[in-house]
Amino acid sequence: MNISTHQRISLLTGILLLLFALAGTGGIAFAQGTGDDQTGYDQKEALSIDRSIMCPVCPAETIDQAQVEISRQMRAVVREMLSNGATREEILDFFVARYGQGILAAPPKSGANLLVWVLPIAGVLAALAGAYLIIKSMSSRSTQVAGPNIPTASPTEADLEPFLEAVDRDLALSGDSGPAGHPPSAASYDSGRASNQANNGVDKLREQETNRGDDLEQNG
Amino acid sequence: MADLGAISLWIALALAAYAAIGSVVGKTRDSTVLVDSSRNAIYLLVLVLLVATLSLIVSFINHDFEVAYVAAHSELAMPDRFTWVAYYAGNEGSLLFISFCLSVMSALAIWLAPVKVRDTLPYTAAVLMVILAFFLSVTSVMANPFDKLPFVPLDGDGINPLLTHFGMFFHPPALMAGLIATSIPFAFAMGSLIGGKTGDEWVDTGRVWGIVSWGLLAVGLLLGSWWAYTILGWGGFWFWDPVENAAFMPWLGLTAFVHSIMVQKRRGMFRMWNIVLINISFGLALYGMFMNRGGAVPSVHSFGSSSLGWVFLLFLGLGILVPFVIFFWRYPLLKSAQNLDSMLSREAAFLVNNLLLLAIAFVTLWGTVYPLISKLFTGVELTVARPFYDQVNGPLMLGLIFLMGVGPLLPWRRATPASVRKALLPPGMAAATTVLILIAMGVWQEYALIAFGLAAAVTAGIFTEWYRGTRSRQRSSGDIYPLAFLRLIAANRPRYGGYIVHLSIVMVALGVVGTTFFSTQRDVVLAPGERVTVADYEIRYMGTTAIPKSNRTDFISTVEVYRDGNLLDTIEPNRSFYPSFNMASTRAAIRSTPVEDLFVVPSENLEDGSVGFRILVNPLMWWMWVAGPVLVLGTVVSLWPQRVRQTAPVLAPGRVPARPRPNVG
Repeated sequence: MNISTHQRISLLTGILLLLFALAGTGGIAFAQGTGDDQTGYDQKEALSIDRSIMCPVCPAETIDQAQVEISRQMRAVVREMLSNGATREEILDFFVARYGQGILAAPPKSGANLLVWVLPIAGVLAALAGAYLIIKSMSSRSTQVAGPNIPTASPTEADLEPFLEAVDRDLALSGDSGPAGHPPSAASYDSGRASNQANNGVDKLREQETNRGDDLEQNG
Repeated sequence: MADLGAISLWIALALAAYAAIGSVVGKTRDSTVLVDSSRNAIYLLVLVLLVATLSLIVSFINHDFEVAYVAAHSELAMPDRFTWVAYYAGNEGSLLFISFCLSVMSALAIWLAPVKVRDTLPYTAAVLMVILAFFLSVTSVMANPFDKLPFVPLDGDGINPLLTHFGMFFHPPALMAGLIATSIPFAFAMGSLIGGKTGDEWVDTGRVWGIVSWGLLAVGLLLGSWWAYTILGWGGFWFWDPVENAAFMPWLGLTAFVHSIMVQKRRGMFRMWNIVLINISFGLALYGMFMNRGGAVPSVHSFGSSSLGWVFLLFLGLGILVPFVIFFWRYPLLKSAQNLDSMLSREAAFLVNNLLLLAIAFVTLWGTVYPLISKLFTGVELTVARPFYDQVNGPLMLGLIFLMGVGPLLPWRRATPASVRKALLPPGMAAATTVLILIAMGVWQEYALIAFGLAAAVTAGIFTEWYRGTRSRQRSSGDIYPLAFLRLIAANRPRYGGYIVHLSIVMVALGVVGTTFFSTQRDVVLAPGERVTVADYEIRYMGTTAIPKSNRTDFISTVEVYRDGNLLDTIEPNRSFYPSFNMASTRAAIRSTPVEDLFVVPSENLEDGSVGFRILVNPLMWWMWVAGPVLVLGTVVSLWPQRVRQTAPVLAPGRVPARPRPNVG
């Protein structure tokens, strides 16, 4: 594959993606008008506060979801306080003072409750670090134990992948009595260089190809 | 009929116990007769449980209200088509349904098992039958759907109105079947471990059943979201409540499993890891059933109270503990055939993908249990709900989408930096273009920009792969492009089916990001004739008609939708009041386009004829529901059996690579 094909592909996918993205996101830019249209408060902010306060009588619902009377009243309180210039914190504190900590949809990021936020993040970082170390030790071990002259560990074998796949496809084609007249290589990948060896079995092919794996890279 | 059902439950329990014991004894004593008769018992179980199921259904259709379960979940006025929903509307029926599913899938799995797992099949069968025996004993002893009332009521209580929705015909059964289907790959893994086969024999079968279970859960979750969106009346589709999470976590575990099992299939690696993953998935599925049994359960606190809860908790404990004991017993034998070669390889990407998926699962679990911990140690009542999950799981999910774009483009084993650069060029360009265009359009939310960029990258990666493959096929075979494309997909179904599923996940991501960051919401009270403007729509409320029905009153509002002064549509959101449940159920009117949904739902009907409406404009929501069929298609493609093994595992020299395998699944 030469560079120009490559550019063509990029261009093509770029255009496809553009269409995809435009079809999807076209409305968004226009739908964004939030505004305080004659209400005296920021509706986005009101909604986001609604989503941080649990409905006290309905299980596992925030007041923006719940359709019961009390959550309707609480939504009205949120809006009234916002119109009177209260901040988000003041509104949340107001509800916490009346209903306790449990009224907040998520614990505050302070004090003992920091644990609920920090532990998952620490856990994820630790797991990623662990994975990094494991992969590192494994990959160094595999290059130490198996030198380049042992076929399985040869770095070039990765490049054989398309060929092995091509061979398998060919074997499959010969198995399902496909369209007559097609040589077994009809389905082989890209260059078609595997066609001659297609039916000679994978092992033989692997032997032959291991030595010239480098030119095969472009098939990946 | 009910007596017949009760008797068949007991027979089924006896058969399951016999099959479990008979398989193990027959295997250890080398008695083919005993093993065969145990297997026949498993086949017979399907028939017996079918009789139990049918007798429950017939009791519903005959309105046999002497049966407590029938009286509690149906009434004379209930249309017959809801019998299917009523079957699993309560605890007892859903347990019977789960048992029936498990027995059908066990029989199928054993019947279709390929030759290479035959040796350890008795152990697999025993594991399955122990699980089935547990469910059957709970069903027949503690929650028997055929228990009778001391008197015969004139009419039943009726079905919960929230369940009378089209989605309810498929959502609960898909989830329950998906949760219990996790037992099958788990049983094959355990079977081969117990039998001392610690190699890759179970991998193909485990993969197939893992995907079946994964697909059922995915469909169940999507249908559940769709149900919540259309009927719960708040305009969202997911709110991270404990029951939703309970179904989501095993799905995450299985997602990790179906990826990492490919590594073992192709490279003979991750042998221990796959066992760990399927154990975790099974444990999470048990937890999911523990949370879900008995329908909508509000929170963790209400479970332990019933005696059934403790039995489930005990089984959950054993179901997590015992597999890991078996795992550590066989640990010394579980050596990978290969080592990881490079950080820059598909294997490594899969490993990180697994970690992220498990991280999301455990963040979710942590959020569910933290209120209990806090109450226990500090005495403070806390809530951990949507804001927590959004903030912690959100970035992890973006990480997953990133890997979904990069992982499939990396080769197995090892990539050179140059080849990686080349492979990642088209997705990178697509991402950059998308982000630039969005910025030019005035979108500034960082999360949304990253998410759309990544979505574009994944899509570009997949289309590039399809284009390259199709072109080379077209060149070498002379097929026309569409044909070449279909042949390409047919030639490596696990891979290209996986790409289709990835596309559907991108679509779901579009819906999630669109509604999370760009939705507009208004709550208004409108008198007939009044108008309100939401985003670029103008909504005019015309009036409401009340239609009395046998068990409810429907309040149907007529609403006209204008844009730029032109009438676009007339929609009819609906609110029904059920006096016997003192409960209202709403049907939102949704005007759906690929760009955005206009969602109008009446939240209260006032005396003077005015109506409280909740109006939302949800951009990109459409994509989320279209993702469902795409996901199913991809799952089916990747599962569709191929007569000859398509992808040769990259094996150590001296092992026979490609050999025909029998049809699996």
